Amino acid sequence: MGTEPALCGPFLIHGRDGVFESCCPFCGLVCDDVRVRAEASGVRVERPDCARARGLFAVPATGQARIGGQPVEAIAALRAAAAILAQARRPLIGGLACDVAGQRAALDLAERVGGVVEHMNGAAQFRNWLAFQDGGWMTTTLSEVRNRADLIVFAGTDAARFPRFFERCVDADSQFGPLERSVVTLGAAPAGGRGVAHAVAVADLAALFADLRIRLAGGRAAPNGAGGVPADTLDALLAAMKAARYGVLVWNAAELDVPHADLTVQAMVELVRDLNRETRWAGLPLGGSDGDTSASQVCTWRTGYPLRVGFEPAGPRYEPLLFEAARLLAAGEADALLWISAFDPARTPPETACPRIVLGRPDMRLDAMGPRDVFIPVAVPGVHHAGILHRMDGVVSLPLQGPAPSALFSAAQALAAIQREMTHAAA
Amino acid sequence: MLRLKGGRLYDPAHGVDGVVRDLYVDRGRLVADPGPDASLDGEIDLAGRVVMAGAIDLHTHIGGGKMNIARALLPEDHRRDPVPAGGGMHAGCGHAAPSTWTTGYRYAEMGYTACFEPAMLPTNARHTHLEMGDIPMVDKGAYAMLGSDDFFLRLLAAGGEQRLINDYVGWTLHASQAMAIKVVNPGGISAFKFNARSLDLDEPHPYYGVTPRKVIQVLSRAVHELGVAHPLHVHASNLGVPGNADTTLATMAAAEGLPIHLTHIQFHSYGTEGERKFSSEAERIADAINRMRNVSADVGQILFGQTVTASGDTMKQYANHRHAHPDKWVVADMECDAGCGVVPFRYRDKNFVNALQWAIGLELFLRVGDPWRIFLTTDHPNGAPFTSYPHLIRLLMDRDFRNAKLDEIHPDAAAHSQLRSLEREYSLYEIAVMTRAAPARSLGLADRGHLGEGAAADVVVYRDEADREAMFARPEYVFKDGELIVRDGRVVNVVNGALHAVKPEYDKGIEHALRGYFERYMTMSMEHVKVKDDEVCACGASRLIPHACGRRA
Repeated sequence: MGTEPALCGPFLIHGRDGVFESCCPFCGLVCDDVRVRAEASGVRVERPDCARARGLFAVPATGQARIGGQPVEAIAALRAAAAILAQARRPLIGGLACDVAGQRAALDLAERVGGVVEHMNGAAQFRNWLAFQDGGWMTTTLSEVRNRADLIVFAGTDAARFPRFFERCVDADSQFGPLERSVVTLGAAPAGGRGVAHAVAVADLAALFADLRIRLAGGRAAPNGAGGVPADTLDALLAAMKAARYGVLVWNAAELDVPHADLTVQAMVELVRDLNRETRWAGLPLGGSDGDTSASQVCTWRTGYPLRVGFEPAGPRYEPLLFEAARLLAAGEADALLWISAFDPARTPPETACPRIVLGRPDMRLDAMGPRDVFIPVAVPGVHHAGILHRMDGVVSLPLQGPAPSALFSAAQALAAIQREMTHAAA
Repeated sequence: MLRLKGGRLYDPAHGVDGVVRDLYVDRGRLVADPGPDASLDGEIDLAGRVVMAGAIDLHTHIGGGKMNIARALLPEDHRRDPVPAGGGMHAGCGHAAPSTWTTGYRYAEMGYTACFEPAMLPTNARHTHLEMGDIPMVDKGAYAMLGSDDFFLRLLAAGGEQRLINDYVGWTLHASQAMAIKVVNPGGISAFKFNARSLDLDEPHPYYGVTPRKVIQVLSRAVHELGVAHPLHVHASNLGVPGNADTTLATMAAAEGLPIHLTHIQFHSYGTEGERKFSSEAERIADAINRMRNVSADVGQILFGQTVTASGDTMKQYANHRHAHPDKWVVADMECDAGCGVVPFRYRDKNFVNALQWAIGLELFLRVGDPWRIFLTTDHPNGAPFTSYPHLIRLLMDRDFRNAKLDEIHPDAAAHSQLRSLEREYSLYEIAVMTRAAPARSLGLADRGHLGEGAAADVVVYRDEADREAMFARPEYVFKDGELIVRDGRVVNVVNGALHAVKPEYDKGIEHALRGYFERYMTMSMEHVKVKDDEVCACGASRLIPHACGRRA
């Protein structure tokens, strides 16, 4: 509540002799079986063997605030950020890669400054949201996949961006006894090295799924198949899909990087719904990395809309097309950018003509800082401080631990501090 | 100390029916008359005003994953009701699936000071508490959903003793920081995952072989033996199905005399008579409630207009998707725990079925004689948004108004209903029972829902207007824990609310089985399912109010 972030106290710490059973915030799986050891040199992942976790848990505990590339005291950076926001008429509060407390603070700030909020993964998220808001969908969650899925179809993804997906959700015990699981990939190579792959270009997936729907409905499908997949292969795939007891269709909107990919998502979820007339099927939209599920969830409960919201005098305004970050910046419709990126140092802010305030991981390198650009290093949720983060499925949110406490501000604290500086300056 | 002077009090917990009396508020509590020499910090003259405790909604879907799905699904509904920031209040949206902020403000503006979210999945508990943490003004609580979760069904199918069931229920209440246990379409949400499209009360689950009746028996016993105040909160099988009144009556019997609460019973009071094969069984259901002292119910009244239905009952929501308006809907299976279905809906007074649903709900209100056992709900937002409560109160209190509305609905529905013959008009005292005293008693909130000494100073003051809708829509004053928060139906002071949760005793040995189950089969560990006491405030509540339970076995 309010502008003071709820500080994550000792409540989530389960460390013993420097060893912590942790939740990993570095992809949308938010694996909660990670063991890390806090050492003087930083945090080391003891298990599992996940390269992404290993790389991203290693982060220095200190960082240097900068203005225009020059080192400054943290307070100077906060004041400079406050000055930029105070002058801005429509700031873009972007990135939003942080924990729930940070996202709450970002929305508080956006409301105060009349900003637009958009996540760094917004392009991918809105491929899903546009389809969702147009027709809805039927979906499932990770534990359901693990226990029930007897046929998993990967469409346009091999799930490799989620390193432990197969370990956690496919190659694991089902409580309903041994499952004869089949895996089919509509893409270049078999996902997880399992099952068969039918080579389909991402741009052709919509046509392929539309064709499957026609076949399912007994309509006149294209005699030569669709998306380069022959008709008899499609018929066989559809037969397998109809025979599944609990089928799961997996896609990753980030990898559906083609124009109007929301229509691709729609074609998929409509096939899933049609299949449910006779058997059980569900979609599983992969995603959730960089805190994007949390960002959507928090914004939805606070404003009614899943991001791309601008705070205007009449109330929150939702523009799922116009408030795309890249468009706002390219068109000069945003006059300041606040970029929050606390998980991955590679997720740097976009180049833009307007002044940038970056709340970034301490090891983030910004090569080309403009003279007014401000960099404020922030702590990493799940490494330096405790917090809460949603998994890709949105149902489960997990407690992040802070195995390596740091003197750095969390994103929430930095955002609250910027608000305080705005208040001081106004007074 | 503040004196609220000369108001007319309706305090059913103490049998006070319109008695003019002063109230004294000190440090958030109602206190005894301090005598003539006491120094007062303030006094408000309430001559001619109606004074009640803060209202308590014991069944309203205000937060949790399914509400966020409903919100995200309905931008077009929000756009008609934008809420600007101002006066210390956050911006948001209103109508059918309001933002968390707006939910709190609008409840307070109607004189509500506590709201209970009835459908929290244990694996979604942390998220639910985050959402509820951003609902200001009112105290909150949530009911944990059990009965379709695989751990429970495995335990039951394996012949697990009642003692183990009790431990699991006790563990769940702690783990999810819950106030009660709810069961939704017992076993049916799970059965839908096995492709069953219906599951009757005595029909074996397609995989586990246990019946919904058995689920109700063991869960109602567990809740009772753990000493949880609120009875098992039951969303019965066959919601919305014509002829489901038989199932509802059998569900009441399934509790075998133990306390049981049937929720949104309007949706479960249907017959199959008439040429449309859809008829009211309100009389038979109300008679049963009148007869069975162990049964309580909330109505789930429908009111006409656009809303959205959000329910854990995936099986029935899937079946209802063809009625979606606008034509979009969501059904999700969730984490071997339960699921959720979100179907937007527009109830029309000229539609026979909708019109009869409206009449059935009102009939139930008017036919159940004991207002301590029937609660005023619309199952927000499933029957109508909670903001329609003042309208509903007027329908109950004003027969002429009700009959005028009856003239507007589908004439065949009006003819099929006996509503016009029901002369009862609720009194202010009865409204105070069903919206204050009774929900507080049902939930075990000893210091809420009444105006006695020592009660929390949640106090609402109304002008005694003939138009009861106007009266209940805009209280003159609302106090929350002694602070003035609403004046003339507008928030004047933003406060935060606490979280109520029960803390029954149970044998923690159940964690051995749970830990192994989660490690072997789930994608989250048992430890992380638990929402710890000190997370409650980090999620946003002002504090945790724990309620001890007197174990009965």
